[in-house]
Amino acid sequence: MSALSRRAVTSTFLRSFLVQGSWNYHTMLGTGFAWAMLPGLRRIFEGDPEGLDASVRRHLDHFNAHPYLANVALGAALRLEADGTDEQTVRRFKTAVRGPLGGLGDSLVWAAWLPTVSMAALTLWWLGLPVWLVVGLFLVVYNAGHLALRIWGFRIGLRDGRDVALTLSEARLAQLGERIKSIAALLVGVLAGVVLAGREGLSDAGPLWIVPAVVCFAAGLKIGHRAWRPAAVATVTAIALIAWWGVLL
Amino acid sequence: MSIVLFRIDERLIHGQVVIGWGHQLRPDRYAVVDDDLADSAWEQDLYRLGAGTADVVFATTEDARGRLSEWRDDPLRTILLTRDVTTMGRLGAGGMLAGDRVNLGGLHHGPGRRELLTYLHLTAEDEDHLVKLAAEGVEVSAHDLPDAHRVPLETLLEG
Amino acid sequence: MELALVALLGGVLALDGTSVGQFMLSRPVVAGALTGWMLGDPALGLLIGTLLELYLLVSFPSGGARFPEGTTATVVAVATAVASDTAGALPIAIAVGLLWGQVGGFSITALRKANGFIVPEPADSRADSARVATAHLGAVGLDFLRGALITGTGVAIGRMLVARVGASWPLGQRESLALILVGGAVSVGILLHDLGGFRHRRVLFAAGFALGIVGVRFL
Repeated sequence: MSALSRRAVTSTFLRSFLVQGSWNYHTMLGTGFAWAMLPGLRRIFEGDPEGLDASVRRHLDHFNAHPYLANVALGAALRLEADGTDEQTVRRFKTAVRGPLGGLGDSLVWAAWLPTVSMAALTLWWLGLPVWLVVGLFLVVYNAGHLALRIWGFRIGLRDGRDVALTLSEARLAQLGERIKSIAALLVGVLAGVVLAGREGLSDAGPLWIVPAVVCFAAGLKIGHRAWRPAAVATVTAIALIAWWGVLL
Repeated sequence: MSIVLFRIDERLIHGQVVIGWGHQLRPDRYAVVDDDLADSAWEQDLYRLGAGTADVVFATTEDARGRLSEWRDDPLRTILLTRDVTTMGRLGAGGMLAGDRVNLGGLHHGPGRRELLTYLHLTAEDEDHLVKLAAEGVEVSAHDLPDAHRVPLETLLEG
Repeated sequence: MELALVALLGGVLALDGTSVGQFMLSRPVVAGALTGWMLGDPALGLLIGTLLELYLLVSFPSGGARFPEGTTATVVAVATAVASDTAGALPIAIAVGLLWGQVGGFSITALRKANGFIVPEPADSRADSARVATAHLGAVGLDFLRGALITGTGVAIGRMLVARVGASWPLGQRESLALILVGGAVSVGILLHDLGGFRHRRVLFAAGFALGIVGVRFL
């Protein structure tokens, strides 16, 4: 670790938790990225204020990725700067890495890990577990995966720098995401069963309620995301109409 | 004809292309046309990470002009990407893309660029290239995702 | 006083959504339970959190897309329901929450546009580390204020509504819950769609379904 101290590296890692703090349509995570790099850059450019400013400016540029996997880029950018890499290479690295990091993170975390742990927590609630246990398990399990990904990403970036692609592809994150999605598909079934038959479930209110629920489920299954807003609007409207009807009575 | 999409997008292979267009067009191959990337192995490795199971080939503009007909006749389905308008302009020069449809994806904010859509910022030079392509029989339009609204070049430049 | 505390909690939890951490304290299950704890009814908090989580299973902050904000929505819904022990408290709180999720989503987009003017231009030769830090932390502060403001106004409106119409709600507790679950079923369907669709996942889904029904009957 040539010019980097342990403290500067740790500090940048901690700042990475705020990398999305100034999310904007102009440069997206650009400012957050530069801000997170600052402790490392101050150390690397000690006694060279102009070098520091120039480096800060190049890291302000447009950047976007999944917030957890952005750590791969942060770690690697620190490595590149510490090695005195030329500006063009640093820019080209960040440009090339943002797309894959966004895509891998979205499919692994947002589309697989989060809904899986969420559905597990919902199922536990329907099975009657106490509040603190449901919430505690959700947070502990989810964040075990979350923090592992952040730490691993930062370390491989810092270690491999520009050539981090090999480690990333060997980690087979996409395949891991597919495996988690299989568990998620199983849990969708479990959740549907539990909501149907469990305490405070649909069958409690009478078998007639099962029909519209199945129709709604099938509609979501067929249409996908475009069904979400109409469903929410319909629910809000139904509740408003019933409340109004109650007032008239 | 087996080039299923020509797209200009500075992010090249990324979520909108792989998930948005990929799920619909099911490409077997991404052909990235870029003079700088064609001889940079480490950058190619990074871009490959995002392509899933599809094959990724990199070519210089000159090289790509020679291989266009090969890709067109190939039963493998190809999405052809460039990250700037200039490269697509050079690729299509002399009517090479006549009758094809070129899709403008993400070109972001930068110095000297005019905002035409939230995801589309062009320099005056870019606009000239696109007008020239259109004059040579290319159907140019802005279309970030298959479900989104498609805006033809004439409408873009009027606005 | 209580309203200010709830707004504060909404602001803090909303930060977790995008700006700080993403530990998923911002998810409805967690935000609901925490708000419930603060207001003295954790079980009700988690019930509302669970129901809203069901709706928002398929909503996450990917890229630049607009998404409903589940966090402030949940805090608003719980604080609305806790304020009334009428039959209508739960369904009205859920409706207010779903509506407020959209308002929260719009406020996030607005803030992201505003941040575009706060952050230094990459090409600006005056941009230095001090300006970067001010702009970045300023934007985090604005996001906190946004969350608190959205929560505070939502709770005020929600509580007013539930006080007006909560008592005359004509359905029973079970029917109200079932109505909410029917709407939530759409999201469960969307999730299965995202996971590859019914044909691709039917074996796993059916196995899970059987497991769920058996589990609930015997546990």
